[in-house]
Amino acid sequence: MKGSRCLHQLKSLRLLSHAGRLLPPAAGDNGALFRPRSSSQLGGLQCAQREVLRHFHSSPACTKGQPARFVQEEDKTRDKSLVTHDDLFEQVAKEAKTKATFNKVIDVYTKGDIRRRGHVEFIYAALKKMPEFGVEKDLTVYNKLLDVFPKEVFVPRNFIQRMFNHYPRQQECGVQVLEQMENYGIMPNIETKVLLVQIFGEKTHPMRKYQRIMYWFPKFKHVNPFPIPEQLPEDPVDLARFSLTRMANDWDAKVTVYQLPCTDVTESGAEVTLPHIVGIQSPGQMEALAKHNPDRPVFVEGPFPLWMRKTCVYYYVLRADPTPPEEKIEEPYDPERCLSYPLQLDLDLDRDLGDDESFDVEDLDEGPVFAMCMTSQGDQATLNQWISGLQESNPILGQIPTLFRLGAGPRELQGVGDADSASRSWFPSHVQREEAHPGEEAEAVVEEAEAVVEEAEAVVEEEPRRSQVVMTLGLRSDCGGNFVDSSHRLWSFSSGVSVKKAPDEVHHHALHPCIALMQCIGKFALLTQRSPTAAIAGPGCSHTGASSRLHQMQLQWIQ
Amino acid sequence: MMNMNRLIVFSRTFRIGQRLLGCHARHAGKEELRLQQRRSIKTHSRHLAYAKDLFLGQVNKAEVFPYPEIGNDELEEIKQLVAPVEKFFSDDVDSAKIDREATIPPETLQGLKDLGLFGIMIPEEYGGLGLSNTIYARLNEIIALDGSIAVTLAAHQAIGLKGILIAGNEAQKQKYLPKLASGEHIAAFCLTEPGSGSDAASIQTRATLSEDGKHYLINGSKIWISNGGMADIMTVFARTEVEVDGVKKDKISAFIVERAFGGITSGKPEDKLGIRGSNTCELSFDNVPVPVENVIGEIGGGFKIAMNILNSGRFSMGSSCAGMIKKLIELTSEYATTRKQFNKSLSEFGMIQEKFAMMALNAFVMESMAYLTSGMMDRPGIPDCSLEAAMVKVFSSEGGWICVSEALQVLGGLGYTKNYPFERFVRDCRILPIFEGTNEILRMYIALTGMQYAGKILTGKIKEMKKGNIGLAIGMVSKKLRASLGASVDLGLTGKDGVVHPSLEDSAKKLEQNVSLFGSTVESLLYRYGKTIVDEQLVLKRVADVLIHIYAMTAVLSRASRSISIGLRNHDHEVLLANTFCNDAFFKNNYWMVQLQKHSPENNDANIKKIAKQVLENRAYICSHPLERTY
Repeated sequence: MKGSRCLHQLKSLRLLSHAGRLLPPAAGDNGALFRPRSSSQLGGLQCAQREVLRHFHSSPACTKGQPARFVQEEDKTRDKSLVTHDDLFEQVAKEAKTKATFNKVIDVYTKGDIRRRGHVEFIYAALKKMPEFGVEKDLTVYNKLLDVFPKEVFVPRNFIQRMFNHYPRQQECGVQVLEQMENYGIMPNIETKVLLVQIFGEKTHPMRKYQRIMYWFPKFKHVNPFPIPEQLPEDPVDLARFSLTRMANDWDAKVTVYQLPCTDVTESGAEVTLPHIVGIQSPGQMEALAKHNPDRPVFVEGPFPLWMRKTCVYYYVLRADPTPPEEKIEEPYDPERCLSYPLQLDLDLDRDLGDDESFDVEDLDEGPVFAMCMTSQGDQATLNQWISGLQESNPILGQIPTLFRLGAGPRELQGVGDADSASRSWFPSHVQREEAHPGEEAEAVVEEAEAVVEEAEAVVEEEPRRSQVVMTLGLRSDCGGNFVDSSHRLWSFSSGVSVKKAPDEVHHHALHPCIALMQCIGKFALLTQRSPTAAIAGPGCSHTGASSRLHQMQLQWIQ
Repeated sequence: MMNMNRLIVFSRTFRIGQRLLGCHARHAGKEELRLQQRRSIKTHSRHLAYAKDLFLGQVNKAEVFPYPEIGNDELEEIKQLVAPVEKFFSDDVDSAKIDREATIPPETLQGLKDLGLFGIMIPEEYGGLGLSNTIYARLNEIIALDGSIAVTLAAHQAIGLKGILIAGNEAQKQKYLPKLASGEHIAAFCLTEPGSGSDAASIQTRATLSEDGKHYLINGSKIWISNGGMADIMTVFARTEVEVDGVKKDKISAFIVERAFGGITSGKPEDKLGIRGSNTCELSFDNVPVPVENVIGEIGGGFKIAMNILNSGRFSMGSSCAGMIKKLIELTSEYATTRKQFNKSLSEFGMIQEKFAMMALNAFVMESMAYLTSGMMDRPGIPDCSLEAAMVKVFSSEGGWICVSEALQVLGGLGYTKNYPFERFVRDCRILPIFEGTNEILRMYIALTGMQYAGKILTGKIKEMKKGNIGLAIGMVSKKLRASLGASVDLGLTGKDGVVHPSLEDSAKKLEQNVSLFGSTVESLLYRYGKTIVDEQLVLKRVADVLIHIYAMTAVLSRASRSISIGLRNHDHEVLLANTFCNDAFFKNNYWMVQLQKHSPENNDANIKKIAKQVLENRAYICSHPLERTY
């Protein structure tokens, strides 16, 4: 009996909330929006509800009939009610889209109706509008939004309520709030937890979601071994310096600014903008270049894209074809090399197979990369300036023929689902900023990333040798860029797996499919930091032996 | 001043007296010794050395038993020599002042010269004392009481003039050795360069033949040259162009360079942590003309010379450290017995007692190893004791460091002040694991030399095993089974033809067990790694450590057996020390050898490498601060 009563109670409460959705469009000023009208127009409806409650015990048949009617009504009016809350925000947005106005709307709503009618719809509408108001990364706003939920009403009171999905729509809405926080990489705080406990109680879906977030977020927060700062340097030279160091991943590599950007006025009065040229080279690369056979040319290749969060920069490499096997000279063992101990043993015994712990990695010789540079103007004249700058520290460049193999542009690697990419000329600025909307694009991104991988592989097949480095780099950075958006898919994936497991188990079971997914998309093991952006520009990728190092790196991360 | 004069007079008269008295006696003694030893040559081959055989699980007991002795007359000679040197060091050497002023006063140097300490090992026909390695080691015990003097003398004669001594021709010896022996000229050894420590390939100093073909012109710079500022004669290693089979190649050659040749400039003396009185500086050579007759050995043969010089100079560190520790025991035991805490003297506390026991043990082991090795080197023939010498060096430099720091610990805060000599000993001692080949490099040398030797012999057997020879495999398994069932290993140290005294039988058994297990460990290592063992430094380190401890056990057993047999004073104490050390070393060795087994849970190498890799990749300690948080 108790059970059936609470079921009825539940139904009637749902009715209440449905009733909220039947609110008419708020036409008036943003203050006192619903109150007068809703109270007057919905008067009859509320009466009906009261009737339901009243007649609850006496006439069950009646109550059976009622919900069906309401559901039908709801179906008709749902869109309308959503528009209601949207309109509320739209109206405010006419003034200014700021945190203050956003908060004001919430205040208006919470103070307007003591019963908080239609709060689920309101919260959905608010969630949708958050990016517009620029508050999508503000924890306090999320907390405020959660605060809209009435307290203690939805807390299950007995084991049956607890067992079944108590107030599913409200719970779902609560989960959605947390989901959006998750997507934007916002970590809930203790206030969020208190609110959730007050609204939904312990061990409810939103609480579980909260726990799951709190389990994974701290773990993933610093998981990226190559973190990108929240704020990238604004100055193009600084940005180039930062990106190059990041790609080279070599402590000894030295960044040289060959030219600072400046604007000159020539004698004829024309304004000439000199591009910045920033290069990087490590002592190891200098050594390799010094040993390069001057008869074989070196190539200046590019531009290759590099994604840094939502910013794309382009770089150029100075590389050579792999040394043909006949030119490779192995240094003969000199027994008079080490004064202290034999560097090699004169034995006819090899390592036992059982102790050979090396991985069977197929090394593809990609040819050495001798230096990298970034410039705002990728024409041959500018790059020539870079090469002549390099020549000062690498005199051998004077003897080696240098060929320029400059690509046309970033092609489809450039943007993810942005329709205006075609209209953007890609060169005029060194930096392109991509406005990605995670919530909207998350779905599409994964497929696109896969498509890019396929496409990249196809290119590799076409001209295998030349484009090895190129494609490795392109692929990586591109996927890094795509990951910006697809990472929350991974999030939801991992949390989806973990739903029914205790946190400890999750750690092992959920992580692996997660990584598998990452590998299948972009062959990266990497996830978000605080924000879901996780562009990877491959450290080490531009060096010799990139593929094997890449492989090792992946293995390490997976371990 | 008066004092000084008297000293000089004294030492001069002493030398003359010694010359007159000692020479005949010594000659006679040496004849006798040689006769004795010539007989022993016939019984066994001189090419075998003790340590290498250990890699095969064999104890070549004839090499190390009985403990080498010196003749009575030589003993007399030592007594005559040691007393004045000891007196000189206790009365006339002010180590604190040398350390403070970072220079050895000229009168002290003169005193050393007068005692003949600049030419201890130079043969008498060139004006030296012509003493054996054993006596050299004995003198070093005293000389080591002042680190600066010890290093100055070692740089002069253990490496500086060694080139002329072992590879120079008669003319070179005639020309240079007398003045070097008297200390009129001081020698230095110039090998290290800014870009080259042990790597001969990166030596940049170059010697080019002048147009007239009479001179080599040396250009380049050398760093960390002991005695660099005051040396008159230098052994310089430089790159020369040599034609080998019609191909021109760069090879290292050794030259005798006099400062008087001109073009040599020495830099500012280095400001060092310890051995501050010794002179270490940079030397640069600018077109220094060296006559062709000053090439040591032949042109292009410098590598071997350098290696021989370095390998032969190390054995004396054992006795030096032992001498130092003996002195430390004297200094600290006085404090420990007089200082009272809670109405008890420090010496009654277990933890203080432990320190003294450890010092005594270390001194005993070092001494035993040093004199065993020097005795082996003094045998006729050309014994290759470089492995043993390296082991002595590694063991004593590390033991010395621990002992010095423990001695300081006994005094607590007092030891940390400059009022006591302990802090100076600690500073001086820190150089020992670094110079004359760092201990890391020597461990590689020890392990790899042995591995090479064992590998040559075992290759055939291992190949058979890899092919799946059932007979061999069964033999191996049964051997292992027997060993695991506790069958005792008998390598002949005890029992009927035993060489170890019965009171040391347990220890000898432990040594035998260790040796046998070591043999099979080496075999399995060769089986597993083959020639790639060169890259397994952590494995090699353990191999070297085990070998060092086995050699140390051998040395103490041999020495204690002899002491019991001839009834030396306090030989029961020696037995106690020997048994204690062997017991300790036995467990250490077993632990290390267990670590060397495949899939051994005791072995942390993979983790260690991983930690180091991650730290070094980031060039920092990479853990987050414990106070940091993520939410």
